[in-house]
Amino acid sequence: MSAGRPWNLIAELTYRCPLRCPYCSNPLDLAAHPDALGSEAWARAFREARELGVVHAGLTGGEPTLRRDLPEIVRAAAQAELHVHLVTAGVPIDAAGLATLARAGLGSVQLSVQDAEAAGSDRLAGAPVFAKKLAFARAVRALGLPLTLNVVLHRENLAHVAELIALARELGARRLELANTQYHGWALRNRAALLPTREQLRDAASAVARERERSSGLEIVFVLADYFAERPKPCMGGWGRKAMVVAPDGRVLPCHGAAELPLAFWSLREHSLRECWEDAPGMNAYRGEAWMHEPCRSCPERANDFGGCRCQSFALAGDAAEADPACALSPHHAALVAARERDAAAAGGPAFAWRTLR
Amino acid sequence: MTREAFEARLRGILAERYHDRHPFNLRMHAGTLTTPEIQTWVRNRYYYQTRIPIKDGLILTKSEDPCFRRQWIRRIHDHDGDGAREGGLELWLRLAEAVGLDRADVASLRDVLPGVRRACDAYVRFVSGHELLESVASSLTELAAGGLMARRIACFEEHYPWVKTDGLRYFRSRTEQAPRDAAEGLGLVLEQATSEEDQERCAGALLRKCEILWALLDGVEWGARRLQLAPGAQLRDDDAEGPLVVLAERAVQMNGTGREILGLADGKRTVCAIAAALRARHREPPEVEREAYAFLEEMAKLGVLETAP
Repeated sequence: MSAGRPWNLIAELTYRCPLRCPYCSNPLDLAAHPDALGSEAWARAFREARELGVVHAGLTGGEPTLRRDLPEIVRAAAQAELHVHLVTAGVPIDAAGLATLARAGLGSVQLSVQDAEAAGSDRLAGAPVFAKKLAFARAVRALGLPLTLNVVLHRENLAHVAELIALARELGARRLELANTQYHGWALRNRAALLPTREQLRDAASAVARERERSSGLEIVFVLADYFAERPKPCMGGWGRKAMVVAPDGRVLPCHGAAELPLAFWSLREHSLRECWEDAPGMNAYRGEAWMHEPCRSCPERANDFGGCRCQSFALAGDAAEADPACALSPHHAALVAARERDAAAAGGPAFAWRTLR
Repeated sequence: MTREAFEARLRGILAERYHDRHPFNLRMHAGTLTTPEIQTWVRNRYYYQTRIPIKDGLILTKSEDPCFRRQWIRRIHDHDGDGAREGGLELWLRLAEAVGLDRADVASLRDVLPGVRRACDAYVRFVSGHELLESVASSLTELAAGGLMARRIACFEEHYPWVKTDGLRYFRSRTEQAPRDAAEGLGLVLEQATSEEDQERCAGALLRKCEILWALLDGVEWGARRLQLAPGAQLRDDDAEGPLVVLAERAVQMNGTGREILGLADGKRTVCAIAAALRARHREPPEVEREAYAFLEEMAKLGVLETAP
């Protein structure tokens, strides 16, 4: 299976972050991944990405605005003719810092909020930052940049979906991503404190449907919770198929979570981006369909969902080549359902294990 | 519900949801529609007119009652004409001529906007898929139509005097027909829907019809929108795989015709004008327009295009 054209480069500039959200998608062993790429190395990565066909650079982390050389990184991506999209918590950056990035060629911004009000949001973020986030959102709009608001949904904020949509409208966001927690990394560790009930999800989905009807100018994306679905999500649009993630240590990955799999990915410190994308054994491990076991191998859905999420298969079924246990056809689905029922019923819920490494 | 309460419920639905409150109709009656907007409305609404006799034919097939059928078949004659009298379809084409459109062009239905087509087809589908009682109930928007027609004649005479009086004959004919039709339909619905359940089904049918008429005008408004590339959207002509638009949320690939359509979306042309310009360039069958409409809708949905201020 040869590598296709990548469209999107997700640049994890650092795993450092001033917040400590308990559903963070970063790896658990954050400290083992130092920021290894300087702005020059990132600039080279963007130029090579452009040659491969990438049109989109998403600058994320951790918190990318912790990097002092962020303006140079933004400029390099813009000079490589990539659309530059900043994924941020809105701290520690301020309006002046944002204006600097806009001058450097920033194209759009995604801001995370944890809930619709300060109390809940600040509790999840682990810091009093809600007011600062709102001010940041207004600064984004004042510069005329398209704004996406992103909210990870879970037990504590699912009931506030209508308020979150109102907030997105008030802030002038063009897009609102309401993403139910995916249980990887920190979120898997905190599953019993995060998992909602089916009723909570259903109520949130109907609130979204109601609001969509009167929505104009706001695109509302509601990412379903795969634990409650019959079929898995087409994770990343397929392994190593359309998007690449470059981790802070320079390794090129097919997704945020793949660093935790026992696979050999290559680093930009030793290889060109093209080599990392096309030839790294890890990148080729689950391209195409030859790796699939049953029930995926003969499943008519395999071209649509690619067998789901490899990282979830590895974490829950012990083998990344197994069908995603979120799929009802997976032999491991019953165990996922049992865990779901147990964790969703955990009354009050256990305390969070807060993400660390500031 | 008593008969009186049920009738009040139906009239309440119309008071709240009838399309006389749609922004497009409000602007029509305020006299602020431009000539192209009036033309777009007349051209597209003709598709609805053509669906009416088809829908009434479907209703006829649902009844076992000769008296009902004898009464109801008159609606088809009203629209199609009966040899001696001109029908509503003919009168609407006169309106089309009076607002400066080509009669054959309008009758060909080739420029019907996708949202309008969807709304009208949804009405025929609704009638096809429901029983006699609900089908008749869905026609009760006519209870409000007589008043709307009278208002419309006055507003055309006042605000759009360039439309010749002969063009308004459709509206005049409906000021008489609609109240008569409505009284017949209402009588049947009030008489037959005596259980709570049937009354609810009738109210639902009327509500659905109000939504369809509303969606029709949404579809007309869409045709009058001026579209332009969204701010921040990067149009790329140098990509190996063909024209490409890069947005904050996604990248959209298209073929050469798509690229040509985007080029026409300059913030000055309306959706209808873009389709017309494309046809003039290509001199191709109507499919090119349908494709243009579908493409423009898709691009607006994806955020590639937006309405110019």
